[in-house]
Amino acid sequence: MNKKRSHSAYFPCGQSRREFVWQMGSGFAGLALTDLLTQDNFFNQLAHAETKKETNSSFNPLAPKPPQVKPRAKACIFLMMNGAPSQVDTFDYKPILKKYAGKSLPKDKKYINSGGRRVGYLTPEWRKFKRGGKSGLLVSDYFPHVRQHADKLCVLNSCHTDSHAHGSALVAMNTGKTFIGRPSLGSWAVYGLGNENDSLPGYVVILDKRGGPISGQPNWASGFMPATYSGTLFRPVGDPILDLKGPQHLSRQAQRSQLDLLAQLNQKHLDQRPGAHQLAARIKSYELAYRMQAATPEAVDLSQESEHTLEMYGIGKKPTDEYGRNCLIARRLVERGVRFIQLYSGGGHLEETWDAHAGIESNHGQHAPEVDQPIAALLTDLQQRGMLDDTLIVWGGEFGRMPFSEGKNAPGRNHNPYGFSMWLAGGGVQGGINYGKTDELGFEAVENKIHLHDLHATILHIMGLDHERLTYFHQGRDESLTDVGGRVIKDILA
Amino acid sequence: MDHKESPIYSLLFGTLRLRAVLGVWILAFSFSVSVHSQDFESKVAPLLVKRCVECHQGKDPSGGLSLVDQEGLWAGGKSGKVINKNDLVKSYLLERIETGEMPPKKQGQSQKLPQKEIELIKEWISQGAPFPKDRTLDYFERTNELRAGRDWWSLQTLSKPKIPKVEKGTQPSHPIDAFIRSKLDKEGYEPAPKADRRTLIRRVYYDLIGLPPSEKEILAFEQNRNPRAWENVIDFLLAKPQYGERWARYWLDLARYADTSGYERDQEKPFAWKYRDWVVRAFNQDMPYERFILEQLAGDEIPNRTQDSVTATGFLRLGTWNDEPNDLRDYQYERLEDLVHTTSTAFIGLTVKCARCHSHKFDAITQEDYYRMGSAFWTGPVSSGGNLGGPTADQLGFKDVLGWTDVRSISTPLHILKDGERHKPLNKVVPASLSSIPTLERKFDPPPKGAKTSQRRLQLAQWISDSKNPLTWRVIVNRVWQHHFGKAIVRTPNNFGFLADPPTHPQLLDWLASEFRNSGGRLKALHKLILTSETWQQSSLHPQAQRIELKDSSNRLWWRAERRRLDAEALRDSLLLSSQELDLKMGGPSFKPTISKEALEGLSRKSSAWNASKPEDQKRRSLYIFLKRGLLPPMLTAFDLSDPTLSCGERDVTTVPTQALALLNNQFVHVRSQSLAQLIEAKKLTPEDQIRSVWSNVLKRQPSQEEIELARNHINVQLKTFSDFQEWKKSESQKPDATVDPKSLTFHFRADRAILNDKKSKRVKSLPDLSGHSHRSHQSIAARQPLLKKDGFGGQATLMFDGKDDFLKIDGQLLDRQECTILTVVNDDQGRGHREILSNWNGKAGNSGTSLFLGLTNESTVRWSDHYSDAGQISNRSQPFILTSVNGGGKAAVYQNSSVLMSGAMLSQRRLDTDWVIGTQGNIDGEYWKGGIAEIRVYNRALTDAERSFVEAELAERYKISLTPLKKQKKLSPETLALASLCHVLMNSNEFIYID
Repeated sequence: MNKKRSHSAYFPCGQSRREFVWQMGSGFAGLALTDLLTQDNFFNQLAHAETKKETNSSFNPLAPKPPQVKPRAKACIFLMMNGAPSQVDTFDYKPILKKYAGKSLPKDKKYINSGGRRVGYLTPEWRKFKRGGKSGLLVSDYFPHVRQHADKLCVLNSCHTDSHAHGSALVAMNTGKTFIGRPSLGSWAVYGLGNENDSLPGYVVILDKRGGPISGQPNWASGFMPATYSGTLFRPVGDPILDLKGPQHLSRQAQRSQLDLLAQLNQKHLDQRPGAHQLAARIKSYELAYRMQAATPEAVDLSQESEHTLEMYGIGKKPTDEYGRNCLIARRLVERGVRFIQLYSGGGHLEETWDAHAGIESNHGQHAPEVDQPIAALLTDLQQRGMLDDTLIVWGGEFGRMPFSEGKNAPGRNHNPYGFSMWLAGGGVQGGINYGKTDELGFEAVENKIHLHDLHATILHIMGLDHERLTYFHQGRDESLTDVGGRVIKDILA
Repeated sequence: MDHKESPIYSLLFGTLRLRAVLGVWILAFSFSVSVHSQDFESKVAPLLVKRCVECHQGKDPSGGLSLVDQEGLWAGGKSGKVINKNDLVKSYLLERIETGEMPPKKQGQSQKLPQKEIELIKEWISQGAPFPKDRTLDYFERTNELRAGRDWWSLQTLSKPKIPKVEKGTQPSHPIDAFIRSKLDKEGYEPAPKADRRTLIRRVYYDLIGLPPSEKEILAFEQNRNPRAWENVIDFLLAKPQYGERWARYWLDLARYADTSGYERDQEKPFAWKYRDWVVRAFNQDMPYERFILEQLAGDEIPNRTQDSVTATGFLRLGTWNDEPNDLRDYQYERLEDLVHTTSTAFIGLTVKCARCHSHKFDAITQEDYYRMGSAFWTGPVSSGGNLGGPTADQLGFKDVLGWTDVRSISTPLHILKDGERHKPLNKVVPASLSSIPTLERKFDPPPKGAKTSQRRLQLAQWISDSKNPLTWRVIVNRVWQHHFGKAIVRTPNNFGFLADPPTHPQLLDWLASEFRNSGGRLKALHKLILTSETWQQSSLHPQAQRIELKDSSNRLWWRAERRRLDAEALRDSLLLSSQELDLKMGGPSFKPTISKEALEGLSRKSSAWNASKPEDQKRRSLYIFLKRGLLPPMLTAFDLSDPTLSCGERDVTTVPTQALALLNNQFVHVRSQSLAQLIEAKKLTPEDQIRSVWSNVLKRQPSQEEIELARNHINVQLKTFSDFQEWKKSESQKPDATVDPKSLTFHFRADRAILNDKKSKRVKSLPDLSGHSHRSHQSIAARQPLLKKDGFGGQATLMFDGKDDFLKIDGQLLDRQECTILTVVNDDQGRGHREILSNWNGKAGNSGTSLFLGLTNESTVRWSDHYSDAGQISNRSQPFILTSVNGGGKAAVYQNSSVLMSGAMLSQRRLDTDWVIGTQGNIDGEYWKGGIAEIRVYNRALTDAERSFVEAELAERYKISLTPLKKQKKLSPETLALASLCHVLMNSNEFIYID
């Protein structure tokens, strides 16, 4: 499982910083919001990289930036199945498990027994697989609605990752490394591409109401990059972000009169300090904040959607209401120029997530119906609006599950980082295909293996970023999402 | 040394300007290539070092070919000889270079050498590839365009430069000013004028103690004509304990300080705060810097160690710690990296961690160096899977200290790892200092007999704190400069290597470092030295700013002061100080600020993860805020609190709208402005004096007449708005909402209506449902029937459950929707383990994890279904109490006697269709209630606070329970709110947020 640290073709440390900064540089000039937001330390980096070149001391770190490679998608929606769905019960059909049912995993298959749980016997899928679409892609009965979109799915059956524990594997799926403190995928995306809407955050995360993911904040943090690039938690009902409203008595009108006085005082202060960009930027940031107070609730206001749409997503009905709402909000955010959105299914621990130790049927039987119809609706909706080609959908968990049970007749399965399935749709990827294979038992990836760095490299590539050139200089090293690894899976691009 | 004169400087920074010139030169050169034997040293060796030796060196050279000496060159590699003696120009070495196969591609791009370099190699080879016999090339022997060698400026001996003489005007009396002025003179710039006294005193207060002066203190200083007034202020501030608190925070960033471990469980690091307090004390006591280093790295190994010095080793315990790493054997190397990285960046400004897999790409740090430094920590608990990755108290020798000491035998060798991979060990590393500074390189001696530790850390600490270590002293004075000026002399304070920003004033840096070192490494003297310079006292405004900015926008010449935004801590502290609420109590365990429930949603364990401290404890300085790695306080992160995963030498300074939102809307800021308004109102001042008082408290000055008018106008406008609002509120509140619509009551059980099994026994057979919904409670087995106690709680009838098998079944389904309110009157008679009051759990029916129940566990932990397995702690459990749980309206909450125990997001979806029971968990034989239950009411919606209080008051009266007196939030008058609005505006103003 150890990822190769060396790779003769790559020289990870410090190769591409200047190139990248040079690329970025052109994007900073001539923007309307150039002086709106300053980020001094980032600027220092630039100034430092450009050596003696003097640059304007303020710019917007979230201004849209030109892509590094031809983009296929403008935005990405990552449907995070927190807790790890079982591949052999969903998207990786292994008929031979029926034959071997009740037998042990062959001895030569080595693995770490996560959590030291009981090791049981090979167990076939808990719900039937059926073919969907013209492609005849096999999807199990846990996802009957998604199956109707089989021709849009690019199922990656050969994913593997670096940890068998939820905490570190989830952090790895989000940041590339099993330890906390690195920028997450969404942070890299907004760092590289900026955001197209100045009243909304560029990177939005919506959690499951049951709770946040294990390890919390580091899953959407920006690590060593400025906090500007970290994910913003969005609540799907009411005020989506923190501190959007003050106390009740402070109506919009009352706040306006506060802001007017503030602007007058700040202006006098500024007049005595000519040329103070950072003071001017802060004055403007207040006006922007005032606009955000209206724009963010508008983005989650589903009353503007038709009955038909609400119904399609399963909003107002159990058990689809929550995830349906989130999927619909994701579409609205993409429409409004948000770059990266992550929707968690499952939160907290064990059975509140996809962590089906107690039973695949009891667990997936609960969680799959929560998301199946909403995800299918999202695909339909995006396609009907002509947005699917520009939007990459990613579905999957932090790892997969074992093809065997946790004891005789036990209905659950343990963690499996050695082989699992994810799928992509939209964003110029081929639909109706399976890519990569696990062994005949669905235990480990064996053909066209996809390490999570490869997945990340591919997602960035689809969004117009080159994972080798998208670097951030930090403490003596050009850091990147995929470090010294990662390859773009070009075979799946349409 | 002045970089302008050094060859390295021109190599690096002359390149851009010289590029055109170079081009011509290269062209000329290529025609005149001819290699004479003496040219090997001047031409060939540098080329080989620059282009080839990175891979072709060491024990395992690439392709088996070593190019560091004559022997290797002639021996060739795996593909055979690389020099063809018979036909020199057909040598394989040359062929590979000429075809551009060598050096190999980088990221898919050819690295083919420039033609003139190929020509040079060709010429050399064609002359027989002469390589002096005893010459061994060393990758880091000298600096070139690609990387630093051991001749890099920051690695050179530190000596005290002469103070320059300025050419124009009078020679400054202060050495710092002489260095700054002489450069400014050369560029033809004047320094900015001296800042006014008001600006100076505010700046120096924030600089040294992180808090602003009061209006009185400012006035006193403005009027003080004593020539020593400025020095007196500095001495006064340096003697204040708040100085240590301010400067400790900078060090804590470097030490990656946090109170928890991170990852899934994010365990608290017990007694981390003692390390924090140690740092504060070290600053306040002006501990010599050498000692400061020794104690943090080896406080357990120094002679006459104390509990204090061992506490200092907490520095090595503060990293993140994962109790569930994928592979513990791999993880110990991750921990080693954390320790090497934190130590090397914090103390010597080198990124040693970059040499974990290969020699450093840019600095004279070999891969072996990484492992040499690592060896100092290798004998510590890096592989410990318990104890939060640290030693036991026994090993450490002290209880209740978060410290570090060796726990492994020194015979466990540390191997250099090829590519940094555990299963590719190379040779054992010999514990030693870095090789980067040859004059200072030394092996670590084995420990004396009987020593409990390897004493490697002690020797590492001694090497770092050696007065001859050129990095240590430069790095620390650079940091001190940075925090006084907003930017450092070396703008990358954690990196003094090749990719570092070159020092703006190298000689000044060396002068300061020497001065600091030679005078005993006392920081307070250094502060005073800097603060008494004219350079520091400059205004942030310069009359020629526009002109100079064009040339030096980043102020590398220090031609004016940098305007700075308050950092997260100073901002929060200043807000508290404005409303006269700041509590200056020092030290002790960290406090947890109130974090809105929305912000808590990111946690996987919502209810138990965060218990805010009492409001009065939350008014302490921000230094004392509990830093949980999985949930950093949003108010602080909004203002660029650094991520505590890695050592941070310089925080970001961003200006983003979410900061405006936080200051405009966050409850914390509103409470401050309201407190201040109330304080001012209490003084019974005239409206104008009220306004003056607001200015005095927040901005520490008197308002202008114009400002008074603006303020008066604002108050009037707001007064009208808020009065209208309160009228509206009043009319709203007069609507009868205090009584509860009886239709929503779906179940009502009361002990006084119990029907006994027979007339004699006290055993209860059944109870009717007083709500009229026919949910009868009953038990047919006599032995399992609870007993009726007629004079139970407050003299009222109460059912007593024995905790062994007593329980009641309920007819029908109590709820048909998720929203509900459950009120119970109970007591707990020393129950143990899980025990339930009301539940519909049913394992057989698959209703585990999704059932609805209310009960207790452990001693006094409330369980509000599995969703909130820790819904707060009850108190006085043996006494009757009202336990209320609410779910709906977007939240869930639990109350004891009307006082909130827990509030969080709504319960996840519950299944309601399984059988309901009282006094047990459900269909298993267990989790029985032990104690009394007098009454239960279930409503099929979330009652409003007013409704709930109403019912609770009724129950309290009946059962003679005294409700926890609700701290009545004093309702503020529109007048107070209007004045608070003004305070709030000033707390948002740039004048408040920035330091000139």
